[in-house]
Amino acid sequence: MSARGWDMPADLEKYPATIPDPASTPVPEGLRREIEAHMALYPDSRSAALPALEAAQRLHGWCSPEAIEQVACVMGVTPASLDAVATFYDMLETEPVGEHSVYVCTNISCSLRGADELYAAVRDAAGEDPAFNVRAFECLGACDIAPMASVDGAYVGPLSVEDVPRLLEDARAGREVLPEMQLARRPCADPEAGR
Amino acid sequence: MSTKLLFDRIDEPGLNTLAVYERRGGYESLRKALRMTPEDVLGELEASGLRGRGGAGFQMGKKVSFLPKGSIEKYLVCNADESEPGTFKDRELMQKSPHMLIEGIVIAAYAAGATRSFVYIRGEYVLQADILDAALKEARAKGYVGEDILGSGHSLSLLVHRGAGAYICGEETGLLDSLEGKRGNPRLKPPFPANQGLYQGPTLINNVETLSTVPAIVRMGGAEYAKLGTETSTGTKLVSVSGHVRRPGNYEIELGIPSREIVYGLAGGPPEGREVKCWFPGGSSAPVLTGAELDIPYDFDSLAKAGSMLGSGAIIVVDDSTPILDLALKVAKFYRHESCGKCTPCREGTNWTVKMLERIDCGEATPMDLEIMASVCDHIIGNCLCVLGDAMAMPISSMIAKFRDELEAHIENRRLVAA
Amino acid sequence: MPRPEQRVITFTIDGREVQAPENAMLVDAAKRGDVEIPVFCYEPKLGQPVGACRMCLVEIEGIPKLQTGCSTPVKDGMVVHTSSERVKEAQQAVVEFLLVNHPLDCPVCDKGGECPLQDITFGWGPGISRFVEPKRHFVKPLELSPTIAIDRERCILCYRCVRFSQEISEDHQLVLLERGAHSYVSTFDGHPYVAPFSGNIVELCPVGALTSQPYRFKARPWDVEDAGTVCTLCPAQCNVTLTVRDERVLRVQAREHPEVDDGWLCDRGRFAYPGAHSSKGWVGGPERVTEPLLRDGGELRPVSWERALEEAAAGLKRAGARTGALVGGEATNEEGFLLARLMREGLGSPHLDSRRAGMLALELHRALSDPRLQAKVSDLEFAHAVLVLAADPIADAPILDLRLRKGVRRHGTKLVQATAEDLRERAGELAARLRDAGEEIVILWGERLTSGPRGEAAAEALLRLADTLSLADTAGAGLLEIPAGTNGRGLREAGVLPNANPGLCETSDPRLRRVCPTGAASCGEDARERVSPQESPLDAHGMAQGLAEDELTALLLLQVDPLPDLPDGELWARALERAATVVAHATFLTDGVRAHANVVFPAQAYAEKEGTIVHPDGRIQRLRPAVAHPGSTRAQWLLLADLAARIGLDLEVRTASMASRQLFDAVPFYAGLTLEEIGGKGVRWQERPAASAYRQIEENV
Repeated sequence: MSARGWDMPADLEKYPATIPDPASTPVPEGLRREIEAHMALYPDSRSAALPALEAAQRLHGWCSPEAIEQVACVMGVTPASLDAVATFYDMLETEPVGEHSVYVCTNISCSLRGADELYAAVRDAAGEDPAFNVRAFECLGACDIAPMASVDGAYVGPLSVEDVPRLLEDARAGREVLPEMQLARRPCADPEAGR
Repeated sequence: MSTKLLFDRIDEPGLNTLAVYERRGGYESLRKALRMTPEDVLGELEASGLRGRGGAGFQMGKKVSFLPKGSIEKYLVCNADESEPGTFKDRELMQKSPHMLIEGIVIAAYAAGATRSFVYIRGEYVLQADILDAALKEARAKGYVGEDILGSGHSLSLLVHRGAGAYICGEETGLLDSLEGKRGNPRLKPPFPANQGLYQGPTLINNVETLSTVPAIVRMGGAEYAKLGTETSTGTKLVSVSGHVRRPGNYEIELGIPSREIVYGLAGGPPEGREVKCWFPGGSSAPVLTGAELDIPYDFDSLAKAGSMLGSGAIIVVDDSTPILDLALKVAKFYRHESCGKCTPCREGTNWTVKMLERIDCGEATPMDLEIMASVCDHIIGNCLCVLGDAMAMPISSMIAKFRDELEAHIENRRLVAA
Repeated sequence: MPRPEQRVITFTIDGREVQAPENAMLVDAAKRGDVEIPVFCYEPKLGQPVGACRMCLVEIEGIPKLQTGCSTPVKDGMVVHTSSERVKEAQQAVVEFLLVNHPLDCPVCDKGGECPLQDITFGWGPGISRFVEPKRHFVKPLELSPTIAIDRERCILCYRCVRFSQEISEDHQLVLLERGAHSYVSTFDGHPYVAPFSGNIVELCPVGALTSQPYRFKARPWDVEDAGTVCTLCPAQCNVTLTVRDERVLRVQAREHPEVDDGWLCDRGRFAYPGAHSSKGWVGGPERVTEPLLRDGGELRPVSWERALEEAAAGLKRAGARTGALVGGEATNEEGFLLARLMREGLGSPHLDSRRAGMLALELHRALSDPRLQAKVSDLEFAHAVLVLAADPIADAPILDLRLRKGVRRHGTKLVQATAEDLRERAGELAARLRDAGEEIVILWGERLTSGPRGEAAAEALLRLADTLSLADTAGAGLLEIPAGTNGRGLREAGVLPNANPGLCETSDPRLRRVCPTGAASCGEDARERVSPQESPLDAHGMAQGLAEDELTALLLLQVDPLPDLPDGELWARALERAATVVAHATFLTDGVRAHANVVFPAQAYAEKEGTIVHPDGRIQRLRPAVAHPGSTRAQWLLLADLAARIGLDLEVRTASMASRQLFDAVPFYAGLTLEEIGGKGVRWQERPAASAYRQIEENV
């Protein structure tokens, strides 16, 4: 994964990363309030780590060291304990990424229906465009619309290579992506389920 | 016409709102349950014979009964981290009938004596989590969730907790660690969650479909529910069918029907001119069965007898256009990516298996590598904290056993090409 | 809080019936039957097992799957197999898996020769390798901190180091990042792992992934010898093993003692050795004294031992009873005891002190040291509540900080912190808060509580609080003092106080004779005659004033330098300036010694010393010499005997053990003690029959 970490020595000029001092760790007020609200919901405030990191990622675009320090400061934990969490989960980004996420499911069911070609097409089309974060993702739980993708959280499929340009355009424009292919509108396959 | 308990008019517009759900008799089961003692509700669950729909197939009533009695704070966690490849049934349930799940949770918590509950939903299910949150808000406002539910004196808090993308969090103890804000590493068992689960407290963990079935069981009575399906696989089951079939999707079936009926009858079978080469009967963790094994009844015990498992109820169909090696690589790479890394055999074994399969693909393998691969899989199975490693080793082993000739031919071909 | 009780059960392992404590983990219980179950991740010191490495898989009859021996509590009648074909296959498989990504660079690995991975591969591995793929490679070694290097290729992801960081030192700086085969041990964003106990991870690492920077490539295990002793760098007195090669200390490791250090060592104890034990001194710090020095024309110059002894003796004799003496915390009991004899019997001076905090009435000393009131280190762990009073464990005695954390984490001990002022103003409230938690209460208090003009009142208040809480009558409850000096307790008991003889006896006590084991008139009787009864003994502060005002004219320093070590720096600067004679036994040329000593004798560092010291909880521990003295350094006991002889006092000490014997005879509650009895683990004098002598002393007040 990230060769950065494996091969990285500690910078001996830095101070040890203890729990950040609120006096020297400015946290945007909105983020602080959101994290504190999450912390209040659980019997143990540590449970708020995932929602708090998600909130910080939304604000900063990724779980940057600065973002993690801010969360650590509000939660009163060390940044390392949050970094351990952030690097464990696929949806938390620990490298800078594009604003629009396109997760193309490339697991078995989608792959059997052309997901690998679809993924290659999305990668090619998005190219080096810094607006996109294109990733091959593990099973997204929508094999009924295989091959599919989750675009900024919305599931669309079944997709063909031809749909890719419009998919990216919609995403870039911030409008609903491929409305007719949205999972949200798809009826149940069971013929007897019905209305 | 087969019985629809979960998918009954599932596409009715507005079913995700309280108004429509109530109009259809929603939350009546909760009212009924609250008039009963928790012991009686538990009795109905036990009588229903309902087996967990998440993968392990453990009897739900029995699981509830394992929780210690008394005033100690207990937790109920709904496992909505549906991430077994090929599985998407809970997604449809939560999206279209969220109140059925909420009602099931409240009833189960009442039976178990739990006062705090959580739905751990995978982070990718944004739409479904939003819908659940909205439904929960309505249910709270109406007094179905919260303090002193419907004047019963029973209280339950419920929170939707979103994951962030890790298959292992579907494993119940990995889920608990994740819910506690940690890396989702599975825990050593014992202690089992029923004794020491979330925040060290007794915890009941059930899958979305399992809990969504609870209102129906209370409504019709456990004994009546048990009449559906087979003796040891009672009730109806949602089956997610995907891969090489003409009508992929979720189907509610009565357990025990021939698998062929699902693959061909409901899902339409493989495309024109293609044959079923193999199929996973219960998600990608299940050992594969061949096209010749489609007449096995689709229930827990028959599939186990055939050397596979019902698992999450996800049928992935693979037709004869797909080389078995490609399938094996997909499976192995997935589990390598999702291994939490805690146990040596799983961490290193999944990684090694991928490397061996890749060597076959680039023409650097010999048939002896199949022996090594089979032995590596053998060394993973049963030797780890959780079954993630097994989930790779079992299907890979089954592929080596059932498609050995094809794999050996593949090895030879690639060697020739490479040479 | 109830300590775990142990019932003995019988189980069968590899066909042998073995008795073991019920619920002991199988890997531990197996040892009772001489069966070794290999482990990597299991380390009981780290708390609950995690069962991650899977090395300890065993077969238990009646359970279909193989089980991890590290996490399976043994039950009566259990039948276990550790060498069946199934188990062997699993063990070989785990070793094979671990070596998949291990570089096997043993020839250039510091761990080689003392490496569990090597040993277990040899003992339980398959003996062949089927892995032909290229291994992963990373940049190595990398700095993890100034003292620790990390080699991520070698890491087998056993979790030990990160568990230490989370669950023992609770610094939460060292974690696993990423997932699965990509997981690696790291800190946050390239910050160094700097924490008070970080070095323990080097010892915990079962492979060569974490190595000590200072020890790196210094020796092979077969080049070195281990020597067990006790670290004297702070009052916690952790038991240590010194790694010695060619008369040099190359490494300090923990020597587990459940009643002292719980198997841990702080970074100061672990990494200070290049300064503490080398013949050169601290890097960038004061240099080590290795031969006698004499001030000549304003400069300290090397001289012969004879010359130095003559000069020192002459100066001290001139001053006689107007000599003061200070003893530093690193001095042994014997050194303090002999010095006290030299002062009282040889020079007739009562002015000697080993406390920073100043003089405390003898009856307060006695009451605070009452055996019935003394808590043990392990009591901190099981107490219902611990009051940390005027102390900062992480600075004063770091290893106790880990014990307090363990109690809070594992047993829910309530931790209350208070200052001297809290005790003065809010004792009632404090008592109520402690009492709330339960009966077993330990008060961990710092010597500084009893310093200054309010010191005696604070001591009285502490005793009242102990009385209110019935600490003397409650098992598992009591007081535990952190003295300012490492051996503060031992020196006090050896009589290095202005107002007490050995054994906290009265200075005017007729039993002063005890000081001289022979009872010879030549020393005891003479000495008492020479002590002027009107002259009140001076404590450290009093000595400084006395010197500054010419009431005292000479000062004897034993491993202490008032300028850096004591309060009242300005007063001391004047005092040293005025003193006609300053004789110092010093390990290092610190500021005061360098500027003011007339004669400097080289003193031993702890790795060179032989003698005893007393742990804050009364455990008498032995220092054993691991390396030879540098230069012409001599043992302190010998030096003191030589010096005394020149003053006209025969201390009758010819060997180090004779000094110990004199001390044991002189302290009533040490009676009958021998070095053999102290052994490698020490002995708490309160737990010996002679402790009853303590009561008699008190009754004689």
